[in-house]
Amino acid sequence: MTTTAQPGGGVAVNPLRKGLATSRITDPCNIVFFGATGDLMKRMLMPAMYNLRLGDILPANYGIIGFSRSDDDDDKFRDEMHKSIDEFSRTGPAKDPLWSDFAKHLSYVSGQFDDTACFHKLREQLEKNDKELGTGGNRLFYLSTPPSLFAPIIDQLDKAGLGPHDNPAGWTRIIIEKPFGTDLDSARALQAEVEKVFDEKQVYRIDHYLGKEPVQDIMALRFANVIFEPIWNRRYVDSVQITAAETVGVELRGGYYDNAGALRDMIQNHVTNLLALVAMEPPVSSAADAIRDEKYKVLCALRPFESGRLSLDAARGQYDAGSIAGKPVPGYREEPDVRPDSNTETYAAVKVLIDNWRWADVPFYLRSGKRLAHKVSEIAIRFKSIPHRLFGDAGDALDNNTLVMKIQPDEGVSLRFNAKVPGPKMHIRAVSMDFNYGTGFGVVSAPAYERLIGDAMRGDATLFTRWDAVERAWIQYMPLLDKWLDSVEDGFPNYSAGSQGPPSSDRMLAMDGREWRKI
Amino acid sequence: MTAEPAAAKSSLEEIRAELARTKLTASTMNFVVWIDDITRRDWILERTALLSDKHPSLTIVLDHTGSCEHGVVRSGEQAEPVEFTVQGERVQIDASCLDAEMVLRYVSALIKPSVPTILWWSGLNEDSAPIFYALLPLANTLLFDSSGGVADESTLRRLATFHAKHPHVILRDLAWLRIRPWQDMIANFFDDPGDTNDVFTIRRLFIRSGSDAEAFYLGGWLASRLGWKATGRDAFTDLARATVHFERKREGEVRRVHSICLDSETSWYHAEVTEDPSVVRMWVEGEHAREPRLFPLAAMDNASLLERAILEGVTADEIYETALNSVATLLG
Repeated sequence: MTTTAQPGGGVAVNPLRKGLATSRITDPCNIVFFGATGDLMKRMLMPAMYNLRLGDILPANYGIIGFSRSDDDDDKFRDEMHKSIDEFSRTGPAKDPLWSDFAKHLSYVSGQFDDTACFHKLREQLEKNDKELGTGGNRLFYLSTPPSLFAPIIDQLDKAGLGPHDNPAGWTRIIIEKPFGTDLDSARALQAEVEKVFDEKQVYRIDHYLGKEPVQDIMALRFANVIFEPIWNRRYVDSVQITAAETVGVELRGGYYDNAGALRDMIQNHVTNLLALVAMEPPVSSAADAIRDEKYKVLCALRPFESGRLSLDAARGQYDAGSIAGKPVPGYREEPDVRPDSNTETYAAVKVLIDNWRWADVPFYLRSGKRLAHKVSEIAIRFKSIPHRLFGDAGDALDNNTLVMKIQPDEGVSLRFNAKVPGPKMHIRAVSMDFNYGTGFGVVSAPAYERLIGDAMRGDATLFTRWDAVERAWIQYMPLLDKWLDSVEDGFPNYSAGSQGPPSSDRMLAMDGREWRKI
Repeated sequence: MTAEPAAAKSSLEEIRAELARTKLTASTMNFVVWIDDITRRDWILERTALLSDKHPSLTIVLDHTGSCEHGVVRSGEQAEPVEFTVQGERVQIDASCLDAEMVLRYVSALIKPSVPTILWWSGLNEDSAPIFYALLPLANTLLFDSSGGVADESTLRRLATFHAKHPHVILRDLAWLRIRPWQDMIANFFDDPGDTNDVFTIRRLFIRSGSDAEAFYLGGWLASRLGWKATGRDAFTDLARATVHFERKREGEVRRVHSICLDSETSWYHAEVTEDPSVVRMWVEGEHAREPRLFPLAAMDNASLLERAILEGVTADEIYETALNSVATLLG
């Protein structure tokens, strides 16, 4: 809500905003993208900025500065961004006169990420924007570079007088792309660099999964309805499965991915964040820290992996050649920039337990992989069996009730329950009750980056990850990461592209008498 | 449910038999559509088909555009079946010769009681009023379009009068939904903290639009948000008892707003459609001067507006109702 101080000292709210869907960013500001000529900028970030502008979310006075090593100038940068919007924007190509109006706010600074002189050039551009575009000294820095450059950039920002303590007239915030570190030590080292310049409230660690509409709906489903919360516990829930399956391979990210793997790339951050949202206690308010406090408590309650059970509570896989949608695709080790004898997992599955009153003994099965049969991200809450089988033989086929929150594709919620098949016999069959966002609300959800960049500009950190949560997640997964790093998996590759994943993952659930939902 | 009269029984049995053949779906609403304007018949049928294809619904189209042979209106005592077509879960009934009681019999016998009923009343014909009031108790939500068939204020006036008499009926008006982008733009003028207080010193509002309904709605909306009281068709008094002049000019394409000017004590706020009808230029002169900015005008087609109206659910829209009350006061 837009507020302003009144002469008498009170606060006036813009009375015209009540009931309108748009929540505008009111503070003028500059947003600086480091790594501005990279793929993420072209595919996601610049289209997101353009659509924030089209949606009237951006303030009247804003500046967008690209910073990268490429020897571009303002005009070339604008041309490149125009092309990227034309190709990737959800609202279609950028057209005049709207594009020309937007382009006036774009500028480019070419420079090395470890060269203080280049950061002084950036400072000059920011001050120029403050003067000419009225951006008011407010600054949001977005690190969309390779992670190895995060610390050097933060250091240079400080040296060039661009840190928050050198900018008392306005606010300074920083968005840091994932991954935040590659292990516990490197994450702590990066955090130490961040803390030298920024306070925690000025840091926005992005996990774009949290910006997806269905992820936000997890909280709405749980805390805006009365019917789910009473059964959201160990008494009624048998198990939870969280899946993030992709059909794509590593594409052009082979160099990065071969040093990361599925556990680091997906499970430790995206999937564990989903786990925290599903398992957390009701927060005392919708304030950012109230929600993040509850998520952090869940992470603190995760039972550490036992060294003697790692092979029972986790499974890894690497894809071999196969076919996706009828087209042959290469195996992981044949992908560009991947070592031919790589030991990196492209599939990871873990079983975790949460040692608290709500979830004791309820297994949470998490899995993520590349080159699987279908692209599916979902959370499936499987409820316990009925206590008494009233329908005799007909009851043998009864499915456990399952609530599925679909994150992508076909965003929505599905509840599976048993119903009588019409006819003279008592024949029971499982049926689904489905809600789909697209048809339910008649609107297409905005991409996660639009939501998250807008939130950071507003100063709302709810959907960003706090350091304590990042650290706890690393602490949880380090024993497994170390074990997998130290032991060569002789069976790699162990699943075909286009399949359901490695057999070891199925065995992990089979030992508990359960099975994965089909991807 | 009362017993079906002989006149309706045979038709209803046939309709039910046809419906029973359709694939089982999970209807989320009953969508009842009344058509009595031959010039808009095809347009309404097309939109209805689009909506019922997309949203699982039992759709009942009551087509009152045909001629009634020999001027005979069928009542409950006359046993001649009506003409109808059934396509999936869409039933189209020739209601040209049915009286209010018969229409009610058909609709109440066919709708599913467990889901909400939305009545899209596209009627302009005063003769249809008895049928409208007969169907009204069945409807959870009533859809109108105040500028659908006319450019003047007449339909909006009827709607405002109706709302005053039936404040508990949930209303959706497409003309109101059309002004949403303009509401956003006007709010935009006063979002910045240094500008917010200026909204309380507006002295003149001037709107150019192709139909009256949109202009009155914008005036009514501002009045309801800012505590203005109408003192006639062309003026309000604000909370400080200062006069706010309300001027309108009907010109240009119907059902579209073309420009808005708000004059405050210190500044002039302008929003105007450019040569490109999908772009609006906004600028401010005076103490709160702001350079021109361009905004896309998300002009939604009527099918999308209808869909939005339906999906907004069956609860009252408080902002709309207070705006409509202000409109009612303006229109006297």
